[in-house]
Amino acid sequence: MTMDYAQLQAGQRISQERLTLDAEAVGRYAEAVGDASRPTAKDGTPLVNPMAVGALALSAVINALKIPGGTIHAGQELDFGRALPIGAELTCTATVAQNSVRREWRFLVVSLTAADDAGNAVMQGKSTIMLPTQTS
Amino acid sequence: MEQGDELPTIQKTITQAQVELYAHAAGDFNPIHLDAEFAAGARFGGGKLDGTIAHGMMILASISEMLTYAFGERWLAGGRLKARFRGPVYPGETITAFGSVKAVNERDGAREVVCAVGVRKRDGEVVISGEASVITQTGSE
Repeated sequence: MTMDYAQLQAGQRISQERLTLDAEAVGRYAEAVGDASRPTAKDGTPLVNPMAVGALALSAVINALKIPGGTIHAGQELDFGRALPIGAELTCTATVAQNSVRREWRFLVVSLTAADDAGNAVMQGKSTIMLPTQTS
Repeated sequence: MEQGDELPTIQKTITQAQVELYAHAAGDFNPIHLDAEFAAGARFGGGKLDGTIAHGMMILASISEMLTYAFGERWLAGGRLKARFRGPVYPGETITAFGSVKAVNERDGAREVVCAVGVRKRDGEVVISGEASVITQTGSE
């Protein structure tokens, strides 16, 4: 089913999903991007690559919006609140920040927040995506 | 780190197999990354693509990796990144993540390092440009 992207309003929630940063998900991400850094805390506790949080939070948006083929990622902002141990569980929320059309593209700016169970934001960000207007 | 210092660069050659791994890891199955027939001729900015391209977030990860090597846990806790995806990266291309310290801001004992960061191809084309900042010392330290 095609989504009517013109109807998306600033402030509208796109998705809210639980995200578990277990060793398998984080390892799969690190392998895919070829990241050999394997960050650890001072006491040796393995930490989650912060970009994994951004990428996995964005995946919920891609699914919820049924992003059409040909969509381009134009810009990304990320703000990491604190380091996360492997196994951390977060709630990722995405909302529409802006929705506009310029020439042959629809520009959607999506705000992302990942929060721990206490409600503290551990990552915030903004993704700017360009959807071809003939499909959006 | 002081103004003008260069960050350690990260160099990688992107493969289609890696792009497919990323699609599964990040749940992004946009056919411009996976389907050569669909991708060829798809629009990118004002131009057309020649084939499948890597996910922007996959290429951006090399900047985060560079910042992890440069700043360690400080990057993970309090790091900020703002980036613009300026051009496509095709499988088979080699990219280099680069950065340099643009400013060091000190206030009330806290120290923030601001870096110009980016990713370029072998021919020098910059495909990602942006800015990152890291709090390397808090006021309480």
